[in-house]
Amino acid sequence: MSDYGSPARTAGLIAGPTAARRTVSDPARGAVSPWRRIDWVLVGSAVALAVLGSLLVWAATKQRQLDAGADPAYYFKRHLMNAVVGIVLGVVITGINYRLLRRLAPAVYLLSCLGLVAVLAIGTTINGAHSWIALPAGFEVQPSEFAKVGLILSMATLLSQRRERKNRQRPFLDVPLALLLAAVPMGLIVLQPDIGTIFVFIFTIFGMFCVAGVSWRWMLALVAAGVVVAFLAVSMHVLKNYQLDRFRAFTSPDKETLGAAYNVRQARIAIGSGGWTGTGLFKGPQTNGGYVPEQQTDFVFSVAGEELGFVGAAGIVVLFALMLWRALRISGRSPDLFGRLVAAGVASWFCFQVFQNIGMDLGLMPVTGLPLPFVSYGGSSMFANFLAVGLLLNVHLRSTVEPRGR
Amino acid sequence: MSGDARRRPSRQPPGRLLLLGAVVIALVATVGVRLTYVQLVQRASLTQVASRQHLREVTVPAPRGRIVDATGQPIATSRTVMVVSVDTSTLQGQRDKGRAVLGRLAVLLRVPVQQLSREVTPCAPKVPKPCFTGTPYQPVPVLVDADEKVVLEITEHREDYAGVLVGTASVRTYPRHTLASHSIGYIGAAAQSDVDSTAASDRPVDAQDVVGKSGLEQYYDAVLRGTDGIDTVEIDPRGTVIGQVDQKSPVPGDTLVSSLDVDLQSAVENALTQQLAKARTETDPKTHQKYQATTGAVVVMDPKTGRVLALASDPGYDPNEFVGGISQQQYAALTSERAGTPLLSRAVQGQLAPGSTFKLSTATAITTDGQSSVDTNGACPPYLTIGTTQKKNFESESLPGPISLSKALAFSCDTFFYAYALQTWQSDQQRVAQQKPALEPMQKTATEYGFGTRPGIDLPADEQAAGTIITRAKKQRAWERNQATYCARARTGYPEVTDPTRRAYFTKLARENCTDGWRYNGGDAADFAIGQGDVLVSPLQLAIAYSALVNGGTVYHPTLGRAIVNPHGRLIRNINATVARKLDVPAPVLDYIRASLTFGNGLDPTGQPPFAGFPLDTVNIGGKTGTAEVYGQQDTSWFVSWANAGHATGSTLGPDAGTPDYVVVAMIQHGGTGATNAAPLVRKVYDSIYGLDGQAAVLPGGVPFSALPAITPYAQDGLPSYLIGRAQPRVARSADPTSRSADPTSRPGGTALPAVELTFAPAVRRPARPPAALPSGPRDRGSG
Repeated sequence: MSDYGSPARTAGLIAGPTAARRTVSDPARGAVSPWRRIDWVLVGSAVALAVLGSLLVWAATKQRQLDAGADPAYYFKRHLMNAVVGIVLGVVITGINYRLLRRLAPAVYLLSCLGLVAVLAIGTTINGAHSWIALPAGFEVQPSEFAKVGLILSMATLLSQRRERKNRQRPFLDVPLALLLAAVPMGLIVLQPDIGTIFVFIFTIFGMFCVAGVSWRWMLALVAAGVVVAFLAVSMHVLKNYQLDRFRAFTSPDKETLGAAYNVRQARIAIGSGGWTGTGLFKGPQTNGGYVPEQQTDFVFSVAGEELGFVGAAGIVVLFALMLWRALRISGRSPDLFGRLVAAGVASWFCFQVFQNIGMDLGLMPVTGLPLPFVSYGGSSMFANFLAVGLLLNVHLRSTVEPRGR
Repeated sequence: MSGDARRRPSRQPPGRLLLLGAVVIALVATVGVRLTYVQLVQRASLTQVASRQHLREVTVPAPRGRIVDATGQPIATSRTVMVVSVDTSTLQGQRDKGRAVLGRLAVLLRVPVQQLSREVTPCAPKVPKPCFTGTPYQPVPVLVDADEKVVLEITEHREDYAGVLVGTASVRTYPRHTLASHSIGYIGAAAQSDVDSTAASDRPVDAQDVVGKSGLEQYYDAVLRGTDGIDTVEIDPRGTVIGQVDQKSPVPGDTLVSSLDVDLQSAVENALTQQLAKARTETDPKTHQKYQATTGAVVVMDPKTGRVLALASDPGYDPNEFVGGISQQQYAALTSERAGTPLLSRAVQGQLAPGSTFKLSTATAITTDGQSSVDTNGACPPYLTIGTTQKKNFESESLPGPISLSKALAFSCDTFFYAYALQTWQSDQQRVAQQKPALEPMQKTATEYGFGTRPGIDLPADEQAAGTIITRAKKQRAWERNQATYCARARTGYPEVTDPTRRAYFTKLARENCTDGWRYNGGDAADFAIGQGDVLVSPLQLAIAYSALVNGGTVYHPTLGRAIVNPHGRLIRNINATVARKLDVPAPVLDYIRASLTFGNGLDPTGQPPFAGFPLDTVNIGGKTGTAEVYGQQDTSWFVSWANAGHATGSTLGPDAGTPDYVVVAMIQHGGTGATNAAPLVRKVYDSIYGLDGQAAVLPGGVPFSALPAITPYAQDGLPSYLIGRAQPRVARSADPTSRSADPTSRPGGTALPAVELTFAPAVRRPARPPAALPSGPRDRGSG
């Protein structure tokens, strides 16, 4: 399942049904069955995380649902449903023609910007952030999740088109143009405000710049500009009080048990009391007692820590590590810059978001409302994550199917 | 891989992707290391923090051990009631610091909310009283013995009462109410002094404990208290109890078997009450007023063993008033002098002049001081002049010629004893003049009999009076202490006393005391000889002294406790009266005095007339009356007696006399002469004991109950437990039946303590266990 590389190229040696199927389904010379060309490690870890997430979401919400007299497995079912929808979206993206994907990028970009405008206009506020659009039947959409996909696609398109062109016009405009492109959705997100997503954007842009070969001088200048902006933001009170509280809570977590530091502290207590093997699913007193707020979304990792112990929590980290490895590998094997940048962007996004989310549970990072990909409850996040997996698979298929050269 | 390399556009530096990879690896590694640290290194401390915040230890008070009488009938036992408590740490965690919950609770309990919030605030230097004396994490009980309506309201609307716990607790109850209240005592919340004084003992008192505050409840507190249980419950952040994690069942206190017999006690109390009521309808020939008969006491003691069989004092009180706290008003009523200070046990704490009953001590002194003897005869003139005053016999009676000591005792001739007192006083005066210590034979003998020192009964030391036995040295010391007061009063007089005669008398006394108060004169000695003046004794002390007279000279530290039995009904230890001392008096002397006072042998002692018609041939009785005079008040009526089945003949004791089964002392304050009220009262007591009043004998066969009764194992109507619940029923982890059988207090065979039944989801309270499952005492004991 995982090792597809050399067998793909020595397919002739494979006898029996596989050889026959290949002959029937894919007559192209040198091509391999699409099933065998799928990166099953990537798909497997994504699905495993989603399924594990459904159990953790279930454990986090069961007692509360029982108390409210509601279906204890409601969130479990919804999470699985979200995953199925996400997988379907991922399959669709995987199947889209690679060139079409590049051409679709501007449209996706525009759509995500429109979504962000819409959320400012008609969105609802949850936990201080104006990030959701309520839909009929109790559904909610969080456009900033999809904006991450939009950013990666549009940035990859812009950078690759300018860089792949022979006789480039004004190469020094690469970076300003890309920044201008990113500035629109980022500005809209700052207005929500959703600081966590801004950080994801910044990290993703840096990751993509890095792989795109932007010069070190630019990179350093951007870091310096970032520091200045952050300083100004704090001194001119652009940040909301609760956001500052979260940072203060991060720097001195034991000052108050209520308020901003409370969540972090409770999450850490949950993880710490899990030990090696945890209390067992549904048996965590910290989780069942409802001590950790937002546990099915932002702090879902603490459920794993308490109820599944180090084995479960480290297992989640390992699954994410596998995904990131495959994403970087796909980036490295991409035949063109666009694919490379898309895969690197997705890897940066996932990497930072996982680090930020788990780091927040462990007291490494300040609290920002970022979900743990695939694991946290939330439809938009799940869909966006599987879209990203679809993008990776699309790039991957391209790298194994395209004939050499262009 | 080589194919991939060739495909890669040449302008992309491959190092850039590796750099991104390195960053990814660094971040993942950071998370991994931090996770290992938090989950495996910090584990112990974080687990501790976790359990501290979602576990609460709820103390389940142990049911207090019972107090039963000599036949096993309960006098003090426990009852299960519902208790409403408030978990303050939870209220603090609520957004409004629990104001809304307290407000609702105050309305429900019908108390002002300010008072309620004060009561639940843990005491601190700046917190106004009443505040909670327990530790901050303990739930504060705010209502004991809550009714059904309150309990249902709270348990059915759990969300409205987050942080309010409903549980059961065991509270003291006295099923016989006022019966033997002065011996049993009462309970109350532990004071700081209780906590401090027991801190070093193996049974330390907690500030929230209920402890014995008086009587046997206090003396045997460590035995009765039991060991509190601890319920460890799990709570959610709002403080709602969501389950039980661990349970340490309370161990009930041991049962105290008393030597009191409730049937005898009840008969004695009735006789006392009736006698007092009757006396109040009769006119005192001396004051020409109705007898006030303000207070009275009866002691029934077994002279063979030193056990107290009945101890009555009137007025009495109902110790149930103290359960759950007594109001200032109620307490004031129980200690008010107008109401006769009902809390004071006249039998043990009363200090009164004993009058002629004290002649036992003087007579003993006469026969043992080495100078006189049994054969010494004396005169019994109508009066004797001592110093400047004439000291008369009762109603100035006299007997002709020299009479024997025996006759003097029976007739209760004061002048006979005055003469002896004067003689010892004069010889002591000479010794003092020669710088020799006074011999004071009367005082010495009185002390031998136990007068002037605490009787050492198993009651709190401050609840037993020592009385007063005056000596030259004591009088000197007292005068030195009080001289200033005497002299000041000699100058100012007593303007606050309205009666001019009394005012003049007191002023004269003060004047005398100012200058000569130190002097122990002949008059003092004479008063002492007949139990007047500076002689004060308690009825119990007289019972001890007369017990020594009739049992061959053994002075006991008497006991009310008989044995201690554990909750399963097994004997832990017997309690026996200890011997204070053996009188240094020859047996013939004791027999001589006893014979002098024995009824129906021809001497016709003063106490005998009230026993006219009493079957003295079947019940052998002897006794001494006492009529103590108190200036300006009606006399105190005394009668001290002994009795046993069988009879004595002749002027000495017959061979079948033996040691009596009972010594009975009766005292009625403001009740006239001993023969007027105290002796008839004692006769009623004997009527009850021996079944002479046409009713069955209270003590079967007229003998005290000697065998230890079979004590039924503790079969309460359910030991305390905390009602635990939330909106949806859950099964507690500790509901595992195997964990219960491991409980050391539960045993098979019917003697098991009823396992505590946890009640979850109390919206519908689970029915109690079927009664058949409860151990029910003797029936099960046989099969077990």
